[in-house]
Amino acid sequence: MSSRIDKRILVVDDEEDVRDYLKAALEDAGFEVETACDGLEALEKVRAHPPDLISLDLVMPRHSGAKFYRELQKDKALHRIPVLIVTGHARDELGRADFEELTMSGPGVYLEKPVRPAAYVAAVRKLLGMEAEEAAQRPPEDLKQELEDALKKADRVALQRALDALKDRS
Amino acid sequence: MSAGVPEELEPLLGQNLLEHVPFNVAVINRDFEIVAANQNFRQFFGNWEGRRCHEVFKGIRVRCPHCRAAAVFEDGLVRVSDETGIDRHGRRCHYVVHLAPLRGPTGEVEYVIEMTTDLTETRHWQQQYNLVFERMPSLACVIDRDFRIVRANEKFREKFGEVEGQHCYRVCKRRNEPCGRCPAALTFEDGQEHTGRQEGVSKEGTPTYYVVTTSPLSRGDAGVEHVIEMATDITPIRELEMRLQEAHDFYEALIRNAATAILAVDNNDRVRVMNPAARELLAWSAARLPSGRRLRTWLPEEFFRRKPLDGDVVQLPETAVRNARGETVPVRFTAVGMKSGAKSLGHAVFMEDLRELKRLEQEKLEAERLGAVGQTVAGLAHTIKNVLMGLEGGMYMLDTGLRRSDAERIINGWEVLRRNFDKITALVKDFLSFAKGRLPDFQTVDPNSIAHDVVELYRDAARRQGVQLRFEPGFDVRPAPLDPDGMETCLTNLISNGIDAVMMREEPGGSVVVRTREEDGDLVFEVSDDGCGMDWETKGKIFTTFFTTKGGKGTGLGLLTTRKIVQEHGGRIDVESTPGKGTTFRIRLPRRRLEALAAAAKRSSGPEANHEQSNR
Repeated sequence: MSSRIDKRILVVDDEEDVRDYLKAALEDAGFEVETACDGLEALEKVRAHPPDLISLDLVMPRHSGAKFYRELQKDKALHRIPVLIVTGHARDELGRADFEELTMSGPGVYLEKPVRPAAYVAAVRKLLGMEAEEAAQRPPEDLKQELEDALKKADRVALQRALDALKDRS
Repeated sequence: MSAGVPEELEPLLGQNLLEHVPFNVAVINRDFEIVAANQNFRQFFGNWEGRRCHEVFKGIRVRCPHCRAAAVFEDGLVRVSDETGIDRHGRRCHYVVHLAPLRGPTGEVEYVIEMTTDLTETRHWQQQYNLVFERMPSLACVIDRDFRIVRANEKFREKFGEVEGQHCYRVCKRRNEPCGRCPAALTFEDGQEHTGRQEGVSKEGTPTYYVVTTSPLSRGDAGVEHVIEMATDITPIRELEMRLQEAHDFYEALIRNAATAILAVDNNDRVRVMNPAARELLAWSAARLPSGRRLRTWLPEEFFRRKPLDGDVVQLPETAVRNARGETVPVRFTAVGMKSGAKSLGHAVFMEDLRELKRLEQEKLEAERLGAVGQTVAGLAHTIKNVLMGLEGGMYMLDTGLRRSDAERIINGWEVLRRNFDKITALVKDFLSFAKGRLPDFQTVDPNSIAHDVVELYRDAARRQGVQLRFEPGFDVRPAPLDPDGMETCLTNLISNGIDAVMMREEPGGSVVVRTREEDGDLVFEVSDDGCGMDWETKGKIFTTFFTTKGGKGTGLGLLTTRKIVQEHGGRIDVESTPGKGTTFRIRLPRRRLEALAAAAKRSSGPEANHEQSNR
């Protein structure tokens, strides 16, 4: 689908179906993907082979996402790895405290389950600083607004060129 | 014997007069020898013949130092003097003596007549009166018509100082004018005795209280001249009285304002005290207090049967009384026997109106139930989100698989979809059984037999998995109103959790023990395992949502359902757990709440229950 990207992502989630899904979505977008089913396994994998980004579920048995994140922050070699939180507990009693701790002092980027594949991949790209490709994933409203802003400032030549481009497409 | 006496009488009077005057009469010559005396004299002083007056009167050999008779011989004037001498028995005596001259033909005083009156008795009484006045244990004073103090006794002087000649109102009350109708004024007015309470000020300036009695002392032309005032200081008694009054007021206010209904019932079943709370509870507004037969229909029969003795208490934690409106009011009833010394005074009855308490308890149960529902909804949302995530994943796999004609991915996607559909089907089923709004169907059952049945149900499954399952019934466990299906569900959940926990521990084997017992009025079910245990974090979450440590195997509803059923029984469930050591779940069902809930369910859902039955 896309050309290979030289970035490796660690997907951490206790549900196998979710792991499989997120792994497939990222691989289809050209990323290299590894998975872990809880915080302990994730720590082992991060230490053995630090990824470029971690996709992290918060509420998991054994070793929760919050615990994992705290330990990650203690490790000088690892604490700069960007973390994307993917959780269903952002607002309920079970996850709220952890969630607030992590969004206030931590990565600050999260997605609430269920997530659409495009939005997920776009968030990963954004965190990795791959802004250029991200435009394609933005909602059309934003694009229209940008176009309007550009129209106000644009000169005659530029407008003609834009018009030609739109005609070619349709 | 001079002018005025008829001549013919003179010889008759002579010796007769001497004998009949009520004095002791003696005649002495200039040598102070007694030359004549009457019979009275002899009787008082004894034989006188040949003796001198000082020998007879005073028992001394020489003349008295200030001899009055000598002076009469000298100047011929009459003298009266107060003397002390000795009588014929040698006893001291008091007498007044009149000395009069008897002149001879030359005009010289040849003889002196000594006329003595015995005052011994009078003196004696005077002294006694004085002693009584001075030493009497009350304050006493004599006042004149101007209210001036003529005399005051020791106690009076002690209290008010030296006050003779001062006005009594000034001295006793620091007033500048008479007090008006005081007992003394009344006595001056009518000559009668009067008694009254007076408030005064001591010489130190402290308020002092008296009971005053006044009596007339002497009368003159204008009526009573002097009044004697006797006052008893009742300040300490008044202080006691006031303290008693304060204590009385205090206890009365306490009883009057108590929220508890209080009755004092005497030994004839008459109500003596009824506070406003009791009036309200018993719906009694009449001024007259209820008694007898009425009381017997109102108060619990058990009270009359078991009337407590002094200090004993009849306590009926949940009973009911009837009131004047015929309503039945649930109360906590306490009766105590009351005694003063050895005398039984009757009973104090305390009644706490339980209507409000019952309502609050009902509300609390309802709130607990709603709270559980709220948490359930939050948990449910999360579980659904997870399932949606799975469905999202399945659709993605299917979509991309189809687009790429990747058969493996298509199959994979289908499987994910199916699994999540299964999951949501199971969830909905569990949830419906969890959220079923029915009240527990209370039946009086043996808790041990419920526990025994569930243990039997799991025994084979446990053995197959190498887990030892035991039941240790409490032998004092009594039948209780329970929802048998509900309690079975609870125990099923706890036992299967226990078996799973044992399976998850590192060494093989292990055991699950189910126990029942009675403890502090609670019926207790306990399920202990020596399985993997839980860390603090997990322990905090087990009851809060659809939390599961069993991956896709559990719906996270088991403990929630258990807790809901326990709460609907008015009980609570708690957990003790140590990682690596094991876990104990404990269900506590207060028997009083069980009884109350069962009774409430019977009352409120009677018709519904019938309806349900007719549907079956």
